[in-house]
Amino acid sequence: MDRSWYWKAGLIVAVTVAAIYALVPSWTYFRLPTDQRNESGVFEKARPKWAPSRHLNLGLDLQGGIHLVMGVEVDRAVREKAVRRAEELAADLDRKSIKGVDVKGDPDSGIVTVSGQGDALAQARRQISDDYPDMYIRRTGPTSFELAMKDDAVKQLKESAVDQAVKAIRNRVDKWGVSEPTIAKRGDSAILVQLPGYSNPEKAKELLGKTAQLEFKIADDEDRSVTQLKDLPPGITLDWDRYEGAGGALVTSPYLRAKDGLELRKFVQGKAPPGKEFGIQKVEERIARETYYRTYMLDRKAGMTGEYITDARVAFDNSPGEGNRPYVQVSFNRTGADLFEKLTTANVKKRMAIVLDDSVDSAPIIQGPIPGGVCSIHLGGLKPINEILQEAKDLALVLKSGALPAPVRILEERSVGASLGPELIRRGSLAAILGLFAVLLFMAVYYRFSGVVADVALILNGIVVLAVMALLDSTLTLPGIAGFVLTLGMAVDANVLINERIREEMKQGRSIASAVQTGYDKVFWTIFDGHVTALVAGFVIRAYGSGPVRGFATTLIIGLLASMFTSIVVTRAIVEWFVGHGKLHKAFSV
Amino acid sequence: MQMKYFELIKPGTSHDFVKYRRVAVTISLIVNALILLGAAVWPKLNYGVDFAGGTELQVKFAKPVSPGDVREVVGHAGFGEPTVQEYGNKGENQFLIRVERIALLTPEAAAKVKQDVLQALPEAQLTGFHFDPEVGDKLDFTFKKPVDPAALQAAVLKAGVQAKEVRALTSREAQDQEYTVIAQGPGDKIGQLLRDKFGKDSVEVVRTEYVGPQVGKQLRNDGILSVIYAIGMILIYVGLRFDFRFSPGVVIALIHDAIVTLGYFVVTRHEFNLTAVTVILTVVGYSVNDTIVIYDRIRENAKRYKGKPLRDLINQSINEMLGRTILTSGATALSLVGLIVYGVGTIQDFALAMLVGIISGTYSTWYIASPMTIWLEEHMAQRKAIEAAKPQVKPAAKPPQQAAAR
Repeated sequence: MDRSWYWKAGLIVAVTVAAIYALVPSWTYFRLPTDQRNESGVFEKARPKWAPSRHLNLGLDLQGGIHLVMGVEVDRAVREKAVRRAEELAADLDRKSIKGVDVKGDPDSGIVTVSGQGDALAQARRQISDDYPDMYIRRTGPTSFELAMKDDAVKQLKESAVDQAVKAIRNRVDKWGVSEPTIAKRGDSAILVQLPGYSNPEKAKELLGKTAQLEFKIADDEDRSVTQLKDLPPGITLDWDRYEGAGGALVTSPYLRAKDGLELRKFVQGKAPPGKEFGIQKVEERIARETYYRTYMLDRKAGMTGEYITDARVAFDNSPGEGNRPYVQVSFNRTGADLFEKLTTANVKKRMAIVLDDSVDSAPIIQGPIPGGVCSIHLGGLKPINEILQEAKDLALVLKSGALPAPVRILEERSVGASLGPELIRRGSLAAILGLFAVLLFMAVYYRFSGVVADVALILNGIVVLAVMALLDSTLTLPGIAGFVLTLGMAVDANVLINERIREEMKQGRSIASAVQTGYDKVFWTIFDGHVTALVAGFVIRAYGSGPVRGFATTLIIGLLASMFTSIVVTRAIVEWFVGHGKLHKAFSV
Repeated sequence: MQMKYFELIKPGTSHDFVKYRRVAVTISLIVNALILLGAAVWPKLNYGVDFAGGTELQVKFAKPVSPGDVREVVGHAGFGEPTVQEYGNKGENQFLIRVERIALLTPEAAAKVKQDVLQALPEAQLTGFHFDPEVGDKLDFTFKKPVDPAALQAAVLKAGVQAKEVRALTSREAQDQEYTVIAQGPGDKIGQLLRDKFGKDSVEVVRTEYVGPQVGKQLRNDGILSVIYAIGMILIYVGLRFDFRFSPGVVIALIHDAIVTLGYFVVTRHEFNLTAVTVILTVVGYSVNDTIVIYDRIRENAKRYKGKPLRDLINQSINEMLGRTILTSGATALSLVGLIVYGVGTIQDFALAMLVGIISGTYSTWYIASPMTIWLEEHMAQRKAIEAAKPQVKPAAKPPQQAAAR
């Protein structure tokens, strides 16, 4: 028994203990009643304080839920933008009193035609090359020319249309209180949305398919009715905002805050005074790594809607002392400029909430009347530049959804009713257990001692796979269970190879110890090659697969990696221990 | 030291695998050709919604219903001929209903909608109308003046189209007003028809899958690409780890196994979907394992018995590994038993197709991969002989040198 053996034994014990430790929260999670375990806070309360917080999740096919792929109509966004640019160009030419030029945008093709005579046309052309860097002249005729968006401008526009739609969807899903939703970009114009446990596909589709609604609402910080609310449920607390208001006077304003947005929303429902409403904001403190929800008391009637916005972008403040601070610049059309000026003049030193689909995104203070149709929103605080930049980008995205709706449509929908899940879980676990026992029994009968050793390794393999999945936050799907069962078969293959080889070596007259050593050494590369080729298949499935099929690949990959450890290292350590102790020599059999 | 143990294959077994290679290769070629023909020409693969696009519903009835009744109700929905299959165990009253993706609205129907909307809302001044038959369920309207979405929905309904949603896209002043009308999808409509016929509470739609046309195409391309990539990468790995001489044998065996596994779906006519592609990929990954074990042994034996003909080396190696090959395949097959017994639908198909793949993988190692290597070796040897023969001709072409040598 040499030193390296003790190292190996130590490693095996450590892996086993770590795997069991990592599975504690999953154990707690699955012992909770099915209908409660996904509610916020329930699992947190049940979890032992010393255990990790990540647990195995059930995939959509096992617990019910909705899988949607939404396509963003990016081409439409591009066409609309071109038409918008045509309107701007017409207004520009009008302002510069360049007469006799006709600008027309075709909403179907996104091509802008500028027609006119001689000098005026040339002037218009100059205007375009100076002020419209995102467009190019695609065709020139004697009395007209055609404009289209440049490729990189189109690309940027498409990207921001998708980002915008992601933002709007995240915003809405967040409001429903679905735990652990997945919202991700997929390809360059699609969005994947997974809502585990959400059982109303019609409602989900309807809500997600809507075009985002942007509004500006003035906050009433004089209102004190929040303080009158009695019986705040646990988790909701009263807090105060302080900022410098009109004439440098300190404004203090009460609000409610809570960790749980859905609970807060339910609590304030119908409790606002007449003509007012509660606006709820999700606040993410990136430094403190804290997320909470808070209320604003808003005027029910929107001061203005987002449809007047023509553009929103991130700009940088180069003035001395500001050090390239990012801010958001919003432009309005002519009507919008008038409305915005009136709104800001009437509400100086008040807060104006920017509301996207009934959720407050931010609430900057109006510093003074804003004429001219261009407004700058500075993001306050002593936060690092990176963070301000991120916030500015987010805000610009929100404001843009007023300027340019990015319609979405459903490309793919898979929904599983909640009643199907338990049945599938029952059958899936039965199938896995039956498969496992069949293999365990077979190994023990056929190889006796070595078979039992392989069985121990196999069980450890199962525990490690589940633990790694829990740590990686993966979900367990029905194909995942199939992948799990399949890895069991492949892990056993390694031990069959080893044992057959040991038998062969013993037949050639080697001692047990030497046969074990040669056996393990000689088949190592065979097992390695076999596992690597199967892993190749696994990674390809993961890269190309979608939905539950990816779950299959994940379990297969983790299972194969774990199997290299358990079926080679673990069984060898156990066998060597028995072979190394003379007394137990007799027990050994292959 | 004498030990007793179970032995499946007695040592010293020597079955001449190589001898039957011509027969085996011929049979395999015919079987493979038949499967490919079956998949492409007749009876064709039964593509699921993943690849064909369309809508699939799993419906559970509270009381026994005949598949014919279900088919009749769904057939009246106007989505073409539906596929209705009983699903799961008898007595669960579950059905799988699939309708192909067909345009929900024909261009003629769309044109009629446009006419009706024009008549119903004259003051709104319809200026633009757009309908893409490829998309099939979406109508875009452009008006000069804003309209009430409810009025638009009513107008569309009058034209015979049940609108699921009417969306106002732009509502800027002094600009064209755009609205999108989305027609009710097949899933909703079928669910509604079934509820109308069999009673509201006795029908439960437990699962819906809808795959749009673009996605179906994308998934199909991805599926084909993934199989090609997996085979390509395995080819490279085997080439690097062994010898590129071995690669063609491995790859042909892999393609053989992939096709035979596909055969399961051709013969049973069970749904060919994403999970089916997964099985094929898994079979590819698994069966190469088998081939590698044999090749490993061939390499080892080649070192030990130098000068032995390849044919004999292969035969000996296959025979030596016979016990382990059968045991391994058996153990993996055993692990699938649970899935075959308790699995439902696609998972059961997964297990059964995998079983076919395992058997094919074992067979192809013995009768396809190894013969290919022999064939290649013989071919190379012949080539070498020809190459070797060439220089002997060359001197004859240079008489001056020869003359000088003489």
